[in-house]
Amino acid sequence: MTAADPLISIVEDDESLRQALIGLVRSLGYRVAGYPNAEDFLAADARERSDCVVTDIQMPGLSGIELKERLTAEGVGTPVIMVTARAEPALKDRALASGAFCFLKKPFEVDALIECLERALAA
Amino acid sequence: MRRGGERQGQMGGEELGDLFDLVHDSIFVRDLDGRVLAWNAASAELYGWDADAARTQPAHELLTTRHADPLPDLEARLLADGRWDGELMRRAADGRELVIEARWSLQRDARGQPTAIVETGRDITARRATEDALRKSERRYRNLFGAMAVSYWDLDFFAVGQMLWQLRADGVTDFATYLAAHPEVSREMMRVTRVIDVNEETCALYRADKAALVAGDVERFWPEASTHVYSASVVAAVSRAPSFSAETRLRRWDGAEFDALFTACFPRESVGAGSLLIGVIDLTERNQAQAALHALQAEFAHAARVSMLGELTASIAHEVNQPLAAISTNASAGKRWLSRAEPDLDELRGINDRIVADAQRAAAIIARVRGMAERRAPEVGPIAINPVIEEALGFLRHELQGKGVTVSLSLAPDLPPVTADRTQLQQVLVNLAVNAIQAMVNAGAETRTLALRSEAADGGGVRVSVSDSGPGIPDENLPRLFQSFFTTKDGGMGMGLPICRSILESHGGTIEARNGPDGGASFLFTLPAAEV
Repeated sequence: MTAADPLISIVEDDESLRQALIGLVRSLGYRVAGYPNAEDFLAADARERSDCVVTDIQMPGLSGIELKERLTAEGVGTPVIMVTARAEPALKDRALASGAFCFLKKPFEVDALIECLERALAA
Repeated sequence: MRRGGERQGQMGGEELGDLFDLVHDSIFVRDLDGRVLAWNAASAELYGWDADAARTQPAHELLTTRHADPLPDLEARLLADGRWDGELMRRAADGRELVIEARWSLQRDARGQPTAIVETGRDITARRATEDALRKSERRYRNLFGAMAVSYWDLDFFAVGQMLWQLRADGVTDFATYLAAHPEVSREMMRVTRVIDVNEETCALYRADKAALVAGDVERFWPEASTHVYSASVVAAVSRAPSFSAETRLRRWDGAEFDALFTACFPRESVGAGSLLIGVIDLTERNQAQAALHALQAEFAHAARVSMLGELTASIAHEVNQPLAAISTNASAGKRWLSRAEPDLDELRGINDRIVADAQRAAAIIARVRGMAERRAPEVGPIAINPVIEEALGFLRHELQGKGVTVSLSLAPDLPPVTADRTQLQQVLVNLAVNAIQAMVNAGAETRTLALRSEAADGGGVRVSVSDSGPGIPDENLPRLFQSFFTTKDGGMGMGLPICRSILESHGGTIEARNGPDGGASFLFTLPAAEV
């Protein structure tokens, strides 16, 4: 792994799922950084350096959708993949409307996540 | 008094005066026509007529003498037998009714002809009144004993008293400890207790003939497992308690056991006389009704829990999905590490551990849901309230987060344990919290705060409040909140709060609703401290 490898940021408040996602991204050979909430992610100034963000939607503080809106407002076009365990159809519409690159439901098909991730990095 | 008709005219005169008047009993002499010849001082005092007023008066008219038999009959008997005694009713000069124990004796002259009648009389009015009162009281007591719908036992425990006296002489001072260690001594006490009498209800309750019960002992009516209750009643008697009562199991004549309230009274005088009155009330029906009520209450509580779980389905699904997502993500990462030319064993070990932990977490969530959904009898025991509050919040973690509710927790340390069924108590807390969340969400409240507080209640129990920052409860709804089928929710059954109340009340607690000073609704419940 080198500095040239893509950096994926994971924003997920659930500790064990965050660790699992970090492990998955590492197994794919990418660099990875994990944050328990959107505020920490923004404070770490990772938005500039990340090549892709994988974020939960429901979190204490800023939601994943609000995070994407914040990035868009700041002119940061990093692709954002959103995952959620909630099932409301309206949520998917709101996520996609905010410009989510992908919208995935937990427990998601991991292959679908990888496929999304690779598409985002290729974009 | 002398015999002799020739002197009768002087009777009561100077010669006899002193002695006659010194006698304490009333003595007067009347001729055969009933006219008073002599009248002593005691007669004057008793009847209120002095000697001058009485002399020559017809005695029976003067004193309004009455008897169950006609007076001529009594006089006839006197003439035949020479004497008569009995009780007479009389009226004194001032109108007082008197009961007189009278003795008449017939005086005869030298030829044997009757000449006069001497009556000695004693006022037994007071004694008779006391006897009457006693008889009435005895009759009343007999009637009570016989007719009450309570089994009464009149017991002779003289021999038990002797055993206790002997134990004391042998150095036993703490009878409670001694009898606890020696149940066989209590059994022996039962065997030496004699049944003096029982009432009809006893025969009915114990399904035994009175003849079989009376003169027997009481051991057969006490199951081994109830011996400690008998011992406690003996200890109560020894420690001069005025009475004793306890719920226990007793045995009928045929050996069948029943739930009973056993009561004993230890009035000093009857204990001194070695007798004891025992009352036994059959609690079978009451206990069956209570058990049925508890079963029904548990059924309702269960139905409410299941319905509550239904409302929380989305949150529960979310919570189970988290570890499941983590597991599939970890497994996928593991597959990738394995397919490398040189598998990274450290990564694989980490992944493996995380999968195990996540599987356990999912199992714990399912166990928690199943605990709530299960239909089982309540298990009431002493539990600490604060962990139950925290568990209830754990149940609602995703619900709270999803609805943007902040929790403010204020749990007092060192609270006494309460006697409760953990699941039902958790149900109350979850129910109140879900109501609070829904109230805040439906009102579109900007700040959504759920405040849970536990504190010591007045009188030694625990008080818990569940408060929200929602719109509060309209005043007109406050009195109806805990009524069945009262609901303000679409599709609500209106059973949540009534069931919360029935759960709390079945644990000896209370619940009330208020509106907070800064708006928002507050539900406060109390539970008594567990008896240690």
